[in-house]
Amino acid sequence: MQRSFIAKNPSVLIFLSILALFTLLVTVMSEGFGVGGISTSFIKTLGKTLCLCLIALALDLIWGYTGILSLGHFAFFGLGGYMIGMWLMYERTRLIVVDSLTSTEIPPTDGEVIDAIGNQIFGVVGSSEFPLIWAFADSLSIQLILVLLVPGVLALIFGWLAFRSRVTGVYLSILTQAMTLALALYLFQNDSGLRGNNGLSGLQNLPGVTASQDHVSLWFFWASAAALGAGYVLCAWLVSGKFGSVIRGIRDNEARARFLGYSVETYKLVIFTLTACIAAVAGALYYPQAGIINPAEIAPIASIYLAVWVAIGGRGRLYGAVIGAAFVSLLSTWFTGGQAPDINLGFYTIKWVDWWLVLLGLSFVLVTLFAPKGIGGLFDIVVERRAAKEANQ
Amino acid sequence: MRQLFLAGLAFLAACLISPGLGQAQDALIQPILQEHQALIVKSSRKTIGPAINAVASSGLPQAQTVLEVWAAKNMWQRKSDGLFFIGEKIDSKIYTLTDFDSGELLGEFLKSDLKQLKPNSGIRALIGTALVQFQLSDPDIEARRAALLSIERDPEASLLAPLRASIEGETDAALKAQKQRLERLLTIGYDEDEAARLAAISDMSGDLGVDVRATLNPLLTTKRDVVVGAAPEGANIAALLRPGQGEFDRLAAYDMLVAKDLAPARISKDDIRTQLAAHIDGARVGGVPVAQLNTDANRLAAYNALAEAGTVPAFVSDTAIEAALAAHTFFDVYLEPSKAVTDAATEALKDIKLKVGLNQMLDLTLDAVSLASIYFLAAIGLAITFGVMGVINMAHGEFIMMGAYTGFVVQQIIPDHTVSIIVAIPTAFAVTFAAGVAMERLVIRWLQARPLETLLATFGISIALQQLAKNIFGTQARPLTAPGWLDGAWVMNDVVSISYIRIAIFILALIFFAAFLYIMKRTRLGLETRAVTQNPRMAASMGINPDRVNMLTFGLGSGIAGIAGVAIGLFAKVTSELGSDYIVQSFMTVVVGGVGNIWGTLAGATMIGFLQKGIEWMNPSNTLAAQTYMIIFIIIFIQFRPRGIIALKGRAAGD
Repeated sequence: MQRSFIAKNPSVLIFLSILALFTLLVTVMSEGFGVGGISTSFIKTLGKTLCLCLIALALDLIWGYTGILSLGHFAFFGLGGYMIGMWLMYERTRLIVVDSLTSTEIPPTDGEVIDAIGNQIFGVVGSSEFPLIWAFADSLSIQLILVLLVPGVLALIFGWLAFRSRVTGVYLSILTQAMTLALALYLFQNDSGLRGNNGLSGLQNLPGVTASQDHVSLWFFWASAAALGAGYVLCAWLVSGKFGSVIRGIRDNEARARFLGYSVETYKLVIFTLTACIAAVAGALYYPQAGIINPAEIAPIASIYLAVWVAIGGRGRLYGAVIGAAFVSLLSTWFTGGQAPDINLGFYTIKWVDWWLVLLGLSFVLVTLFAPKGIGGLFDIVVERRAAKEANQ
Repeated sequence: MRQLFLAGLAFLAACLISPGLGQAQDALIQPILQEHQALIVKSSRKTIGPAINAVASSGLPQAQTVLEVWAAKNMWQRKSDGLFFIGEKIDSKIYTLTDFDSGELLGEFLKSDLKQLKPNSGIRALIGTALVQFQLSDPDIEARRAALLSIERDPEASLLAPLRASIEGETDAALKAQKQRLERLLTIGYDEDEAARLAAISDMSGDLGVDVRATLNPLLTTKRDVVVGAAPEGANIAALLRPGQGEFDRLAAYDMLVAKDLAPARISKDDIRTQLAAHIDGARVGGVPVAQLNTDANRLAAYNALAEAGTVPAFVSDTAIEAALAAHTFFDVYLEPSKAVTDAATEALKDIKLKVGLNQMLDLTLDAVSLASIYFLAAIGLAITFGVMGVINMAHGEFIMMGAYTGFVVQQIIPDHTVSIIVAIPTAFAVTFAAGVAMERLVIRWLQARPLETLLATFGISIALQQLAKNIFGTQARPLTAPGWLDGAWVMNDVVSISYIRIAIFILALIFFAAFLYIMKRTRLGLETRAVTQNPRMAASMGINPDRVNMLTFGLGSGIAGIAGVAIGLFAKVTSELGSDYIVQSFMTVVVGGVGNIWGTLAGATMIGFLQKGIEWMNPSNTLAAQTYMIIFIIIFIQFRPRGIIALKGRAAGD
């Protein structure tokens, strides 16, 4: 069975070996373990990019394969980040608080420790009480489960409501956008229990770990690479089997799939929830590398950019999503980071910081118009040429 | 004896009548001043009262001049005879003096022969109060109005009498009404006669004015107090309180006892900690090892041991707190002693509150209508393109922004605001119409059968346009100033008001609505558009050019977005994010209302506008939460009417 799956999908092996090679190369070049050709901050950027590739995979699964354009997957991404961020922030603050309290003459009571942590974390929003949602923040294992559970349940409820009433097409896109907007607006409030627009910060420090950021960033990089690899295999396995055929059938003709006896809503719900969980894992790995998460991260625009990446990379093929996300997000970092050289036209200097978005927007229009298959479509041309050549011979 | 009595009576009568007589004769103010010379020269706020009163109540026409001159520090005393005059500076050493009574110039005097009276600010305030009665009957209506305003701002018991006196002679009807109203309010606040106050309260009950509430509310100010045993007799008690009930915390109640020295201070956890830290004896406190002090129970045990030894005050246990609370009565007492007055004020405020509530409802409705018309304006263009062509135009918000910036640019060229707005509206329409047509020709036409791709492509345009606007106009907000006649608000009473801009936007929305209905139902273009919407191929075979219809429809939708942009720019700041602020609400409006039907858009905008205002009203401090709840509500609403409020039925519904 496994053999046949790999045999059916040669791209999986190619992808995994490229990913492994890339990981190895980066590790060798890193400051933490290798010769130091790649700075730690760039390792973090690469690690974050891998996480973005993972969520792009999720979007490709639901958009490219199932035909549901979700403009709300960054909500799940952000929630995953928040869930892990709660533990990171709680545990780190607890260590600091216990450290400072034990240096006093009288050992602290448990109540005092918790009060002090609450003060530290919620002081910025004018509170010191722990909201109910922080009930399990002291337990890594429970928060790790919540990383999957909270976005999963949200996706389940939202998807059940949306698919049950047969909201489809652009309506569903707008609705998912409304969902992520609602979540972002809710989190922006100071009494949301997640520190309002301050968000959670200091997430790059693993509590109780004394290793330097050079090493920690590499660990997260490896974890992100592993997650991306696992996610890729999972997605490839899903789409290559019967399940994949059904969701493609739903994409191409939903009514026909329904008349053939498939429970279209169930399939959609499963794929929506599953991709939400993948997005959440990606978020849980992304934000410890970013160091900070705030509600602006899950504003609707982020999810739209995600769709842009997948479209440019080429949807309906898994490697397309990965290529698109990696290519566009790295390019975006390069252009907006001020590293790209400005172009002097004599009468006007094109500053890429200002003009990058114009370029991105227009290239997006061009890709949609002229290359609906995206960058991934280029591979098709190569494959077709070879096939044509073989046919000629 | 009898003669003496009669003489005394006559003298008394003369004294009483003298002001009246004085006016008839040429009475002088100088003697009055001289009578109080010592007080005037002493110039102390505490003692000056009788002097000012004497001048003010003299009834002489010169009194006002004296007070004004005095307050302006222009009154000088001649040292030789102690008389007071108006002094005017000639140069640093020489002053001219003018007599108050005759008004004649007495010539120049050396400064060294004179003494200037310099009333301090306290005295000047007293003089100002005394002057009010003159200003209230001043022949100049502006002066009277100003005097009334100053009383309104800073009411005082002493102003009540002069105000009452001035009502009779007031010639201006409006001002008279204002004076009467103010007199009622001052009566409520300051009259000594309880019956008069009650009458005034009942007169004003049901009045919506903020000033009435500002007068009545202080009457109901309470002070929280506590006594041993039962509540005191005769006090005007607002409410008896029981600790631990409602908002009245038990610990807060106990702290009140402590503050009044009725109970020993509570020992908090922090106090215990501090005391323990201060009494560490070796590695133990009160016999408990320091390392074990990490639970509250152990700490308390150690503290009790210390207390028994007498080193720290005894711990106040919960039962002791309970007993102390039970032995005392807590109550809120009105600062106003008269129960009749507070009762009447409570009653009146209840009346007013009900009326204010009703009016707030009306105000809220107006707000909601205005918000709905804004959403309608923002969404109508979208509804056209979405409803007629099935095209999701994510750049619609950017067309709104484009319209607003067009208005801004026009205003830079034409400085007159009225003309510039009149020019800006068609210009914005033209600009966005052209942009819309260009977009339809270049992009959307090629993506007709693929709605999701259209969504993404138009989104790409939206990103590019937004950034382009940022590059051209910068990130700071640009003003789009409304013409002067749109400034201000239509004020119905102190609760209900609506700004003229919002009324204008409401009218604009109505005009659009009517124009749209007209175009769709009565013109050739509308007929063709409806035909293409229902069945493009059939329409084409009937000789309609669907390409042309689509292009014009898209241009029309975009053009309306441009005009909406001008309207929105008038009250919101014009930034490159202007469009994206409205795009989600616009989509909601279209989706909730139902696609392809202008009535649906109207219903959607109304529903969203009212919903948002309603939620904001329930939780006014938190507009973020309001938006969150609204979106959640809409998501749930879509469950029950997936095709919107007004759904197309039959073949027109497509699919």
